[in-house]
Amino acid sequence: MSAVLEVRGIAKLFGGLAALSGLDLHVEEGEIVSVIGPNGAGKTTLFNSITGLYAPDEGNILFEGRSIVGLKPSQITKLGISRTFQTVHLFSNMSVLENVMVGQHCRGRAGFVASVLRLPAQRREEQRIRERASHSLGFFGARLSGYRQDQPAFVLSYANRRRLEIARALATEPKLLLLDEPTAGMNPKETQELTDQIWRLRKELGLTVLLIEHDMRVVKGVSDRVVALDYGKKIAEGTYEDVAHNEQVVEAYLGKKAVG
Amino acid sequence: MMTRGTADVVETSEAPAELGRLSRFPVRRVVQWVVGVGVLLLAAYGTYETIQLGRFSGAAWRDLLVFGVAQGAIYALIALGYTMVYGILNMINFAHGEVFMAGAFASYFVARTLQNSGFLQSNPVVSIAILMVVAMAGSVGVAVLLERVAYRRLRKAPRLVPLITAIGASLFLQNTAKGFFGPQTRGYPTPDVLGGTWTVLGIPILRTQVIVIVGAILAMVGLIMFVARTRTGKSMRAVAEDKEIASLMGIDVDRVVVTTFAIGGMLAGIAAVLFTMVFQVVGPFMGFIPGIKAFTAAVLGGIGSIAGAALGGLILGLLEAVGPSLFLTGLGVKGPNQLKDVIAFSILVLVLIFRPGGLLGSDEAEKV
Amino acid sequence: MSAGLTARRVARLGMLGGMGVIYLALVGMVQTFDGVRLVGDQVTLGRVLLILPPLSAAYVLARPRIVAGEAVKPDGRAALVGGAIIGVTGGALVGLSIVVANGLPERFAAQKIFTSVTPALISVVTFDRAIAPGIGMLVVLATVAGAAGAGLAVLGWKIRRPLITGLLVVLLLSMLQNVFRVMIGQLGLDTAWLYSVRLGGLTYIGAILTFAVPAGISAFWANEGITLRQRLSGATREGQRQVRLLAVAAVGLLLAVLPFLLGSFLSAVLGRVGLFLLMGLGLNIVVGYAGLLDLGYVAFFAVGAYAMGVLTAAANSGSSIHVGMGFFEAVPIVVLLAAVTGLLIGAPVLRLRGDYLAIVTLGFGEIARVLVTSDALKSFLGGAQGLIAIPAPSFTIGGLNVDFRDPQPFYYLVLVFCVLAGFVSYRLANSRIGRAWVAMREDEQVSEVMGVSTVRYKLLAFATGAAVGSVSGALFAVQIGSLAPTSFNILISIQALAIIILGGMGSIPGVVVGALVLVGIPGFLTEFETYQLLIYGAVLIGIMLYRPEGLIPNVRRTRELKEEDRLQDAWSKGAPDAEPATISWEEAPG
Repeated sequence: MSAVLEVRGIAKLFGGLAALSGLDLHVEEGEIVSVIGPNGAGKTTLFNSITGLYAPDEGNILFEGRSIVGLKPSQITKLGISRTFQTVHLFSNMSVLENVMVGQHCRGRAGFVASVLRLPAQRREEQRIRERASHSLGFFGARLSGYRQDQPAFVLSYANRRRLEIARALATEPKLLLLDEPTAGMNPKETQELTDQIWRLRKELGLTVLLIEHDMRVVKGVSDRVVALDYGKKIAEGTYEDVAHNEQVVEAYLGKKAVG
Repeated sequence: MMTRGTADVVETSEAPAELGRLSRFPVRRVVQWVVGVGVLLLAAYGTYETIQLGRFSGAAWRDLLVFGVAQGAIYALIALGYTMVYGILNMINFAHGEVFMAGAFASYFVARTLQNSGFLQSNPVVSIAILMVVAMAGSVGVAVLLERVAYRRLRKAPRLVPLITAIGASLFLQNTAKGFFGPQTRGYPTPDVLGGTWTVLGIPILRTQVIVIVGAILAMVGLIMFVARTRTGKSMRAVAEDKEIASLMGIDVDRVVVTTFAIGGMLAGIAAVLFTMVFQVVGPFMGFIPGIKAFTAAVLGGIGSIAGAALGGLILGLLEAVGPSLFLTGLGVKGPNQLKDVIAFSILVLVLIFRPGGLLGSDEAEKV
Repeated sequence: MSAGLTARRVARLGMLGGMGVIYLALVGMVQTFDGVRLVGDQVTLGRVLLILPPLSAAYVLARPRIVAGEAVKPDGRAALVGGAIIGVTGGALVGLSIVVANGLPERFAAQKIFTSVTPALISVVTFDRAIAPGIGMLVVLATVAGAAGAGLAVLGWKIRRPLITGLLVVLLLSMLQNVFRVMIGQLGLDTAWLYSVRLGGLTYIGAILTFAVPAGISAFWANEGITLRQRLSGATREGQRQVRLLAVAAVGLLLAVLPFLLGSFLSAVLGRVGLFLLMGLGLNIVVGYAGLLDLGYVAFFAVGAYAMGVLTAAANSGSSIHVGMGFFEAVPIVVLLAAVTGLLIGAPVLRLRGDYLAIVTLGFGEIARVLVTSDALKSFLGGAQGLIAIPAPSFTIGGLNVDFRDPQPFYYLVLVFCVLAGFVSYRLANSRIGRAWVAMREDEQVSEVMGVSTVRYKLLAFATGAAVGSVSGALFAVQIGSLAPTSFNILISIQALAIIILGGMGSIPGVVVGALVLVGIPGFLTEFETYQLLIYGAVLIGIMLYRPEGLIPNVRRTRELKEEDRLQDAWSKGAPDAEPATISWEEAPG
């Protein structure tokens, strides 16, 4: 097994506040790793650093063995890392299908001349983009297919927006998928469904998944390995059982008194 | 990014999947710094050459400086209107220059009447006070009307919508004034006592310039006290911080916004009278360029900051007055004073690129 | 009173109506447009302006109001009375101001402030009568107008639409009398029955016919059109395709023969419409597609014009550079130059927030204006004197000399470039590039994370927009034959902006309509020229307030502009566990 993602001692300061300080993390190919931690532990900052939205102040991030620090987010996406967002950020006035077609953007080549002249290659490519986008939506079965494809994204239910974000991320054809609280705001039934789907992501699409999650049932259900953060540092790592019973982790979540 | 960007546009191809080392190189930032340092070096070289030439005497430089301060004081007063509205509504009131023009026109008709009756010459101090009040009333009226008719219902609209509306309002007000009062520029009567100079600290300064500088300082001090001390001032700061929370705390947001526009209008009215004293003209299009310049001043100082508007106005006034002669004469540029506006707008562009938060502001523009 | 027919509202609308009339009179429109005869010898455009404000105010009063999410129609009779009261109030207000203006002593004469208040104006607003009967007539007319306005609002749409259609056609035919008279004359038909020879304007019979025929068609369409439309949409795809092809062919044919129908003078106006249409199409790519508000668009127009001037002008042009190229060889160079300028201007400002970007581009536009005027570049660009001796391309076919400076050939030249620009815009909008632009406009940062290189697509929009704008400038240089630096001011930028705002940002048919209305009407009806900019200002405000998506909207843009802080934000606010400082989200401009 080789590390798909390797985070080496990254630090990120906001003003004087360290959101991340000297964090190490690695994700092996085909693994599903969960990142947990209390609010403000630096989980989303970690995602933002990996996807290039933040430049870390220190440390290095390697994807498939090469540094991706300093690349633009779009370049990183093209290399094969995609993500969803904690608060859903769809292109809400585009249709469901168009949202996913934007995800396919980085796998296309057609430029100015090809698009204006509708060269044969460009037409084939459009056709392919459309098909693959449909295919991505198909991952969620009937939830996002059929007539829903042509609806604007803003009419979707909350759970469907979360699903659409995942479909859009899948359309970029990633190797590594970062999910930021994928089940937040979902009811138990929807949560269970999504947990199964995260499994399918690996089984059917061969993806490696790194996710932030608060719902411990989900974490327990999907994770090969769990990493716990607090104050921008890793405080525990291991199987769900190990981490869940780690004293430091319990302390971070419940405060000192509960333990003492 | 520049050269690569060009190539991509023409070649119609995406960047290859293999990202070389070059793509990580912060080309944009390097280009920015090269341009910035280049501009500074050029200005420094021009200054050196100009001083070598010795075409201007010390007195000439001094006069230019004083003129720059006076001009800057007027910019600062107008800039305050931009800055306060921006601080509260996050919108550029593009029509603020026309608010200024409205004040100038309102006072012009009174000034003409006073001149014809001889009152202007016999009681200059009272006359100027009357003109100030009239100009303020005119500017406040237009500013409040604008807010009520054009901007109020757009508070939640996407950002560009109120900006486009404001551009429309600017055009509409200019051309309304043209239709109402005629397209020509007219002479604005001033009391004869304002001719000549006073000697301040051993330097002879034009009387109008003294009044402009003193008047602007008084107005700004008054504003700062108002915002810091009064209840309304405190509500204004609260609304600027967060409209929703402020309204939950029982602050009438609409009233605060109207007050803000009114205060901006008052300052623009004062600026209008001071402006007409120096330049002695009014016309329907007089507000446009000072308006943009004042906006530049507000951005330069840090939009949303009152002290920033004052500082920005001062710096812009000085650079505009001294800049062309100082930087460009030595470079052998013909007709340097024609390029005054280029200097002002180049400053605007450079500030927004390098320090979008302005000199005294935070780098808010990068975030928000 | 749930429908809002309160005394206070009636009084307020009445006052507004009256003030509207006073505004139009003071700004000079009433008197200027009194010279435009619409129908017979009594109905002038100026007089229509006198009754239009109370009519509109009454219409607003009687419109169904939304109360608690439901449209409530006011009682018909009450609305009519309310409308009439609005008319009386408005008319009385105007009458009062006439009395005051007329009665002021010489020293305080209103004319000393308002240049339009002249005896001539007074006689226009009193219908060339003495003050008292004149005001009486004004009040009566305003009352009738008020009642009519309310009536229009109360009537069902099946009656209202034919009425308004008929009135609009009469207005259009009478305002554009120059155009249609010439066109019909060119067809060899007699116009005396339609347009009065002595007075201009429509004859009474002509007016009745031009009202009745369109109104009848509209009424027919309102009743029968539904089934017709159903049949059309039920038609096979092949059939629909044929209908569309037919429509395109008809429009094409009309565009092809238009200059022959219009003659030389009116073709020149069409040429100018084309220049602005071209600019609108270019700006539409930048503002409408990519969502970047560029207020310095004139810079690209200037680059195009001056580049064309310098490259093709004769030796004595006023520039020290003499290339002497031909027009068609120069065009690619001009376009390339402009695209590069677009990249140079775009590159440093890309990271700025929407409104700052607008101001910086405005700054660039002003810099361009000052530079072309300055002595500093005089030896290249001619300074304040500008450039002269710019030739127009010409050729000879079979002894017929075609000079593209002549209005009719010029029209075709512009038309070709407009069609080309429209085609390019259309294809780009409906491609992977167009999708990237929309995504970027909706949420810049998310689109970047989803793999759209926002830098590249912003630059592409800037460069393409610049290239199209420069062609407009180049054609302008050819048409005029000389360049004066005063032609390149911010008003050009704002004019182009107003065109795309009126038509609808991101909508190609919208740009066409915007250019026709905003450049065409003032061109055909010279009285409008004085008030062109005033009208632009009003259009910008009115559209943004009441119909931000424009007259012929682009569907998605409509959603964006009506978005306010809908749904997505509501969700994110309600979402559990908001970790601080997620991402520094920029507010999406669209």
